[in-house]
Amino acid sequence: MSDTELKAKLRFLPTGSALHKLSALITLLLLILAFSIMSSAFFSVNNGLTVLLQTSVIGLLAIGMTMVIITGGIDLSVGSVLALSGVVTGLLMKAGLPVMPAMALGVVTGGVCGFLNGLVITKMRITPFVATLGMMMIARGVALQLTGAAPISRLGETFGWLGNGALFRVVEMQANGFPKVIFPGIPYPAILLLIMALFGAYLLQRRQIGRHIFSVGSNEEAARLSGVNVDRTKIWAYTASGALAGLSGMVLMSRLVTVQPNEGVMYELDAIAASVIGGASLMGGVGSVSGSMIGAFIIGVLRNGLNMAGTSAFIQQVIIGVVVIGAVYLDQIRNRK
Amino acid sequence: MFDTAPTHAPLVQMCDIHKNFGGVVAVDDVSVDLYPGEVVGVLGHNGAGKSCLMRMLSGAMSLSSGEILVNGEKADLKTPQDAKTFGIETIYQTLALADHLDAAANLFLGRELKTRFGNLDETRMHAEAKAALVQLNPNFKNLKDPVSRLSGGQRQVIAIARAIYFQAKVLIMDEPTAALGPSETAMVADLTLRLKKDGIGIFLISHDMHDVFDLCDRVMVMNKGRNVGTFKIEDVNKDDILSLIIKGTLPDDWTPRGETS
Repeated sequence: MSDTELKAKLRFLPTGSALHKLSALITLLLLILAFSIMSSAFFSVNNGLTVLLQTSVIGLLAIGMTMVIITGGIDLSVGSVLALSGVVTGLLMKAGLPVMPAMALGVVTGGVCGFLNGLVITKMRITPFVATLGMMMIARGVALQLTGAAPISRLGETFGWLGNGALFRVVEMQANGFPKVIFPGIPYPAILLLIMALFGAYLLQRRQIGRHIFSVGSNEEAARLSGVNVDRTKIWAYTASGALAGLSGMVLMSRLVTVQPNEGVMYELDAIAASVIGGASLMGGVGSVSGSMIGAFIIGVLRNGLNMAGTSAFIQQVIIGVVVIGAVYLDQIRNRK
Repeated sequence: MFDTAPTHAPLVQMCDIHKNFGGVVAVDDVSVDLYPGEVVGVLGHNGAGKSCLMRMLSGAMSLSSGEILVNGEKADLKTPQDAKTFGIETIYQTLALADHLDAAANLFLGRELKTRFGNLDETRMHAEAKAALVQLNPNFKNLKDPVSRLSGGQRQVIAIARAIYFQAKVLIMDEPTAALGPSETAMVADLTLRLKKDGIGIFLISHDMHDVFDLCDRVMVMNKGRNVGTFKIEDVNKDDILSLIIKGTLPDDWTPRGETS
């Protein structure tokens, strides 16, 4: 495919990040191919849906992370905010609130944490790394303190609906009285991820806020002089990241049907890795939701495939680390020429 | 001082503007005015306070004291948006472009055109940007490339187009020809005269004496944060201006040149 052809296809991307995204997509397909050859169980409907389910949490985090990274910032607090949001929802349900409002308030909790991140970064002029590192500790500490570090369980079946339910599940009753799952259905978390990713991409590419997010990351001073409200744009991005962390908390805790205050440790690093693999630049101004989704699935497929191949969890870390460095190195080569 | 102002009302009056950063005084009680259809050159060393003064007018910097009047009304210019609502547009020396965005996105940055549904109207922004840019440079291409890939001249054209597209009443040009070749410099000079004819008031910061004498109606010289003289261009020659820039005073034997010749 010629370069101009490719550019024409992805022309509404603000940068020529098409090549990076293409190489990430090819990497993903190669991984799927390799794992399918290694294990016959890998390339099956059931396992595909499992990967979807496993990736949805990281994917949701990566959408918000991408927005923050495009502004030239970083959000280290998402893993802890995810846990705190879950804890708030769990406690509210124990206090008698129904599932939906409790979950909504959980997402709001995440949004508030992100909003505070934004305030600290813009008004107190503290670098995003330090500000969100602080929030990472604060949110985790609050989550552990509120629960006494103990999981909250027996939240009822409805709490597990979001994480374990599926659309188009086909179950047939057999003659012997046992149900047989013909098609396990598309898991709700995957559908949620798709909706949020499309919405996130729409905001970034088609709305003013997205344009401002790119401009702030590209040249903050130029954005300010052009009349972009830089502080408001940054606060918006961190709030979105926090709210998405809250949402992914709902998905994760619902899947476990238990609220774990120590869930989500190091998830922020997976989300950052997904964004970077997908072509986002930590210098700001570059990135896309679609790229980050490819990145999230590369991580998800790697984890899943390596598990099926019997690779130890420690070696998996090593491999994912190498992939992150390799992806950034490719990006460097692209920029040099 | 020595200048005799044109008869109609001033477009901009900057009165006793003072700016200090802690103990360092950058602009020391400077007053200057600007009339419609007039080009005022703002001259001085690097660090004489001229960019600082202009940044306060464009809303990029707050005043320590003093006031700015636009069309006789007090204007509180806290942000660049405030200045833009008063019709004050600026071409910054740094150009202030977001490198990862394309020409149209930069031209409309902060003032994006939208469709009925509030989406960005890329089609209209590109069409408008193309028209505006081609008017300044008929060879302008690569409209959809990020501006980091464009030449210095093209980038400058975007910065200029952005300032004039929105019907500026007051234009601040901070060294608009610094990055340009000869033909583009001539284009900027033509443009300046055209805008002047349309009744736009222009502050021109420049180090290029040719530009100053070709384009300006009056010059204002700053030295160490103070306004050391505002003159009609006919009343001074190059040596007088250099003396003001370097020493802060006129040559000892100075009389208004316009009267002697």
